[in-house]
Amino acid sequence: MNLQIFVIGLGIAMLIFVIEVVRRRRLSEGYALLWIAVGIGGVLLGVARPLIDRFSDSLGVSYGANLVFAFVFVFLIVVSINLSMHVSKLEDQVSSLAEELALVRGPQGGSAGADDDARPGGHPDTDDGV
Amino acid sequence: MAIIPALNEEETVADVVRSVRGHLDADVLVIDDGSRDRTTERAAAAGATVLRHPFNLGVGAALRTGFRYAQSHGYDAAVQIDADGQHEVTEAKRLADAVAAGADLVVGSRFEAGFETSRLRRISMRLLSRRISRYLGVTITDTTSGFRGFGPVAIERFAGAYPRAYLSDTVEALMIAGDWGLQVEEIPVRMLPRQGGQPSAGTAKSVYHLLRLSLVIALHRVRRPLYVRGTDP
Repeated sequence: MNLQIFVIGLGIAMLIFVIEVVRRRRLSEGYALLWIAVGIGGVLLGVARPLIDRFSDSLGVSYGANLVFAFVFVFLIVVSINLSMHVSKLEDQVSSLAEELALVRGPQGGSAGADDDARPGGHPDTDDGV
Repeated sequence: MAIIPALNEEETVADVVRSVRGHLDADVLVIDDGSRDRTTERAAAAGATVLRHPFNLGVGAALRTGFRYAQSHGYDAAVQIDADGQHEVTEAKRLADAVAAGADLVVGSRFEAGFETSRLRRISMRLLSRRISRYLGVTITDTTSGFRGFGPVAIERFAGAYPRAYLSDTVEALMIAGDWGLQVEEIPVRMLPRQGGQPSAGTAKSVYHLLRLSLVIALHRVRRPLYVRGTDP
């Protein structure tokens, strides 16, 4: 019983935290949806303890919590892989941005006449430094 | 000016640019949002000013680039037009007229034209319309329309803060305009059948985007205002 209350409390705390960071625009809504779903899942897990026990019995898992652990483990691995994919994409994008910036800045120092053309960050059409 | 966000629209973008230049007597800015085809070349050859994103960022980001360009070059009205040829350019003139008559943000509604879509889309569009109309105090039937006119104040404000995510770029932008006290209007527009490119989204994706948007709308009033650049600490 105490464990159930703890799990429910944890789920609710997580929901509150996620909504607060979205409110502050520290977390994008897409990721927030995922973690809100996890929070709700946590609360449901706490509420539906007997159901989990019955389900794990039918799968031949002797202790219900183990089944939950197994599911959570798989879920977290999937999330990690997904995040690694996102990071990889971000790396590619940052690299491509830096390359573009180098081209926009043009040749630096040394070369003849470069002083006039190659102001750092000075693309003629942008007055806001981008 | 006309702002045309374009992604892989090499088949249609040149026609759209030419027809805008013909009908609207406006400068045309195409934002190539990371196309893998010849969108940039075709648009430039048709006489548009083309800005190119180094990779795909979404329509919201393309508009943001457009607003910043429009603002720094002193344009005081802008019409957003799709590059796929679905927006009838003669109707863009009416959006521009509504802006000239004093509106800050004019939405071209596709419903008059017998706009056909899936049931999920129709129901969600009706709910969105009800929610957004109540928020703004003005009836907007087509909240996700990307056929819009912007006045000088809208250009200046949106150049600093425009939502980037899919659907936020249309729906959340309306709420932000409402927060700023901008005058938002809607006029019915005629649409043309799609000339090229692919229509967006499958069902699972749409459900995800709608859930995301619901969260955005539900939290909008209590959220910290959106800043793209500016003085946010």
